[in-house]
Amino acid sequence: MSTRRTRASQMLLLLSLCLFTAVMLTPVAWAFLTSIKLPIDAFAIPPKLVFTPTFEFHQQVWMEKGFARFLGNSLVIAVSTVVISVSIGTMAAYGLSRMQGKAARGVLFGLLSLRMFPHMLLAIPFFLLAKFLNMVDTYPAMVLALVAINQPFTIWLMHSFFVDVPQEIDEAAAIDGASEWQVFFRVVLPIVRPGLWVTALFSLLLAYNEFLFALVLTGPHTKTLPVAIAEYGGEDLNYWSLSAAAAIGIMIPIMAFMAFMQRHLVRGLALGAVK
Amino acid sequence: MSVDTAIDNRTVPAHGTAARRRKPANRRRLWPFLLPSAIVCVLILLFPLAYALYLSFFSYYLDSGASTFVGLGNYTDLLGDAAFQASLGRTVAIVASAVGLEFCVGLAVAWGLYQLTFGVRTLNLLIFLPHIITPVVAALFLKWIFAGRWGLLDSVLAGIGIFPPDWLGDPMWARIVVVLADAWQFTPFMILVLYAGLNTVDQNQIEAAQLDGANNRQILLRIMLPAIRPIVAFVLTMRMMDAFRYFDTIYVLTSGGPGSATQTLTMQTYALAFRLFQVGKASALGVLTLLIVLMLAAALLFILGRRRENTE
Repeated sequence: MSTRRTRASQMLLLLSLCLFTAVMLTPVAWAFLTSIKLPIDAFAIPPKLVFTPTFEFHQQVWMEKGFARFLGNSLVIAVSTVVISVSIGTMAAYGLSRMQGKAARGVLFGLLSLRMFPHMLLAIPFFLLAKFLNMVDTYPAMVLALVAINQPFTIWLMHSFFVDVPQEIDEAAAIDGASEWQVFFRVVLPIVRPGLWVTALFSLLLAYNEFLFALVLTGPHTKTLPVAIAEYGGEDLNYWSLSAAAAIGIMIPIMAFMAFMQRHLVRGLALGAVK
Repeated sequence: MSVDTAIDNRTVPAHGTAARRRKPANRRRLWPFLLPSAIVCVLILLFPLAYALYLSFFSYYLDSGASTFVGLGNYTDLLGDAAFQASLGRTVAIVASAVGLEFCVGLAVAWGLYQLTFGVRTLNLLIFLPHIITPVVAALFLKWIFAGRWGLLDSVLAGIGIFPPDWLGDPMWARIVVVLADAWQFTPFMILVLYAGLNTVDQNQIEAAQLDGANNRQILLRIMLPAIRPIVAFVLTMRMMDAFRYFDTIYVLTSGGPGSATQTLTMQTYALAFRLFQVGKASALGVLTLLIVLMLAAALLFILGRRRENTE
C-alpha cells in the first residue's frame, strides 16, 4: 500500500506507538511490581526497580484474607448469569432474526435504547424491590439483575450471528418435517456455535466486572470481587502490597479472556460488551 | 435514530431487504422463542424503570419510611438547586474533556496503526488491556499512580526534586485525574473502533488523493474522516452516553471529592439514594439525567449528521 512509507518512517511510527503502549501499560506494571515487593521496597523513594521479588502477598490475599470466597461468589454469580442470560437471549435473538416486518426491528431498537439507560436509575428500584422481597445479599437477586441488564447485549450480538444463517436452511429442515424447536435446536444452533461461545464469554466478562449492582445488592454472604477489592484497596496504603496482589489476581482471568478472544473483540465491543 | 442505523448497518447487513423479498412465512410460530426473554425484560427492566419513574413523584425517605406524593416537586426542587446545577456543569465538563481527549488520541493512534505494516496485532492487543480490566481494579491501578507521596508519580517527581501537587486532594487536579482515568480506560475502545473504521475506507480513493499530491494529514482529515463519519458519530454518541453514567472509577478514585469537586450527576444520584436515603428525589435526578443525556445525544447526532450533508 502506498500510504505506507519508507523503512525509517515505519521505525519512527513503531517507536512512538510502542511508547504510547508503554505509557498505557505503566499503571498495570506498577501494580504488579508493588504486589511482589516487600513493604520496604514498595515504599522506597525513588521507586526501586531492582529488588527481591516475593509472592507471599499473592498467596496471603487468596488464602488468608477471604478473597478465595469472594472469587467463589463472583464465579457462582457470573456463571449462573451467563447460563440463564445466554439461553433465553439466544432463543429471543433466533425468533427475532426469523421474524418478518417491522415488529422485530422495533424490538431490537427498543432493546438498544434500554442498553443506553443509566444503570443508576435501575439500581434504586432494584434495591427497593430486593429489600421488599427480602432478597438483598442473596445470589438470585444479583443474578436476576445481571441477566436483565445483559439481555439487550446478548440478543443484539446473537442476532448478528443468526442473520448470517440463510433462512433457506430452516425451510429445508421444515420441509423434512422438523418442528420449530427442532429447526432451532438441531439445525440453526449448531451453525452459530462459535458465536454462542463469543457471546457467552462477553457476558461472563460483563458479569465478572459489574460493580454498581453488586455494591447495592450484595452483602457479607455474596460479596463479589469488585466490591471486595474496592473496600480493601480503597482505604489506606498500609496493606498496599496485599491490595495490589488481589487486584492483579482479579485481572489474570481477564488477560486469559483477551488472548482467547482477540479475533472477536471488535464485534463484541462495538456493541459495548464491557460496561 | 441514526445511532441505531449506524450499528444496524454494521451488524445486520441487508436484513430488511432480504427478508422483504422472500415470500412471507406467516405460518411460523416464533413468539414462544421470545417469551422467556420478554418476561425477564418486562419484569426486571421495564417494571423497575416504571417504578423509578413513579417514585420520582414522591418524597420518600427510606430510613424513616415516610412517603408523600409531591407531584413534580422533586423535579422543580432539583432544577432550582445550586448543587444540581453545579453537578450538571461539572459532569458536562468532565464528559466533554474525556470524550474529546479519547477521540483525538484515539484517532491519532488508530491512524498510526493503520499506517504500520507489521506488529499491529500485538500492539492492538496490548493497548487494549486497560479497556477490559475490571473498572474498579483499573481505578485502583491509577490511584496507586496518583496517590500522595508513595504513588509512582509522586515518588518519581520527588526523586528528581520536584514538589508534586496533591493530585487527588486538589479540586482541579482531582478533576483532571478523573478525566485521565476515563481516557485511560476508553481510549483503547476509540482506537479499536476507529481503526476498524479506517480499514473500511476505499483504497482507490486514498490512492487518487495521493496522486493529486495530498500529504498524510490531508488524507486523514479530508478523505478518511469524512468517509468514516457515521462511525465517528456512533462512537462519540455512545461514549458520551456511557461517560455520563461513569460511576465505578470516580467512586474508587475520589468518591466525588475533594468536597464536591468530582461529584457528577451519577455520583450525586448515588449519594442521594444510598447515603441520604432520599429515594424519591434520587429517582427524579436519575430521570433528569436520562433526559439530559438523550437531548445531548440528539444534538450531537444532529450536528454530526448535518455537517455530512454540507460536505457532500
